[in-house]
Amino acid sequence: MTAELTTSQRHGTGKESSGAALDLLRIVRINEEIKRVVAVAFKINIMALNAIFLAKRAGNAALGFGVLSNELRVFSKDLRESMISLTRLIHDLVGEVSVILQESRQDALFRRTVVQCPESPMLAAVLAQRDTQHDVRAQRISALRRSLRLAVDDAARLVELGGVLAKSAKIEAAYGAAFAGPLGQVSGEFDGVVEEIRSSLDTLRRSKFFGGSA
Amino acid sequence: MKTTQTIFEDGPHKWTAIVRDPAKPDYLIDTNEYLIQHAGQGLLLDPGGAEIFPAVFSALSAEFDPSKLAGIFASHQDPDIISSLALWLEFNPQMKCYLSWLWESFIPHFGGTPETFVALPDEGTAISLAGLPLQAIPAHYLHSAGNLHLYDKQARILFSGDVGAALLPHDKQGVFVEDFSSHIRHAEGFHRRWMGSNEAKRQWCERVSHLKIDMLCPQHGAIYQGDDVQRFINWFDELHVGVIRA
Repeated sequence: MTAELTTSQRHGTGKESSGAALDLLRIVRINEEIKRVVAVAFKINIMALNAIFLAKRAGNAALGFGVLSNELRVFSKDLRESMISLTRLIHDLVGEVSVILQESRQDALFRRTVVQCPESPMLAAVLAQRDTQHDVRAQRISALRRSLRLAVDDAARLVELGGVLAKSAKIEAAYGAAFAGPLGQVSGEFDGVVEEIRSSLDTLRRSKFFGGSA
Repeated sequence: MKTTQTIFEDGPHKWTAIVRDPAKPDYLIDTNEYLIQHAGQGLLLDPGGAEIFPAVFSALSAEFDPSKLAGIFASHQDPDIISSLALWLEFNPQMKCYLSWLWESFIPHFGGTPETFVALPDEGTAISLAGLPLQAIPAHYLHSAGNLHLYDKQARILFSGDVGAALLPHDKQGVFVEDFSSHIRHAEGFHRRWMGSNEAKRQWCERVSHLKIDMLCPQHGAIYQGDDVQRFINWFDELHVGVIRA
């Protein structure tokens, strides 16, 4: 009887839609983390620009530091491009998962219709067709999920390179003669922000959306 | 599940009211749906909201093959009128939805494609259901800015959307109005508040007075028949509308 339906059954907030709702929530969290990384990448770009000016003032003693600062600017640009591709995947995922949420409400209504009208062959045909469409959509989401995971792994490898650049800048700063102090401070800041990005990417890789625990 | 009641039948030409669902939760307003059948085809009038689709579909299926539905007529754009559109289209994606041109780009938010919609002009128009002539009658601002009723000249029935609607108590659930003076009390507040224009109301009363109407079928409440039809039109003509309080 309709009167005995739970609220979640009536509104299509059963297992299928709550799974999609959780996925959507996780995707939103991933997107927030990506925005954080983009903000830090922008910060690295500004810091690297200042570091290049500082290296120029330090002259020959900071030539290596200058080269590394320039590489950090390139790293910042690559990182932002990597985040743009992640954002595109997120956009596609949000679209697919949102459709599932919308369809799950309709599925709940069709399931209620089947209870009231169990003999209808038309209803059975419509449900079978919807099941096929759901399977296709589930495959698309799986493929997008894999692509997103691979893109996050690629970004993590890029950040490892950023970490190496920041560490090398620290070493180069020690040869900065009279500028060793300020150069050391700047390279320490590089190290800190790269660590911040690494932490964000670790959070992304541990997301429950990829089967992790975060 | 809703019940069906045949309110007119003449050979292949039939009107069925789909009414009253005892299992409907109280937080949803009760609605009436009407099915016109002619020569094996059907036109569903104000099919209702998505939430009541299971009840309407199962009641309709008991009476008629849903795949033979040629179209849906939406008197206006409200969710209790037409938010089930996407669900009906699953059964027949070629089905047409007749509605005021004003809502042609609004109702697709409920579902459908550009091919689904047949935009009706403000002055109304003829609609044919397997050769049965039907007439869309203007009822703009009663209550929606783009509002149409549907008149069946052969059956002498006017489907009047929200005009004539009454919010009936649990103990007054008859399909037809039995005692006009006690029934109309349940319609008064609704009409004062929902109907926005005295001028539009005057024009509608004048317009429908020229039609031969045996039954006036609203989307909520009970059906007016016989002399109660003219009683209702006269009562509505006198009513001051567009106010929260009289």
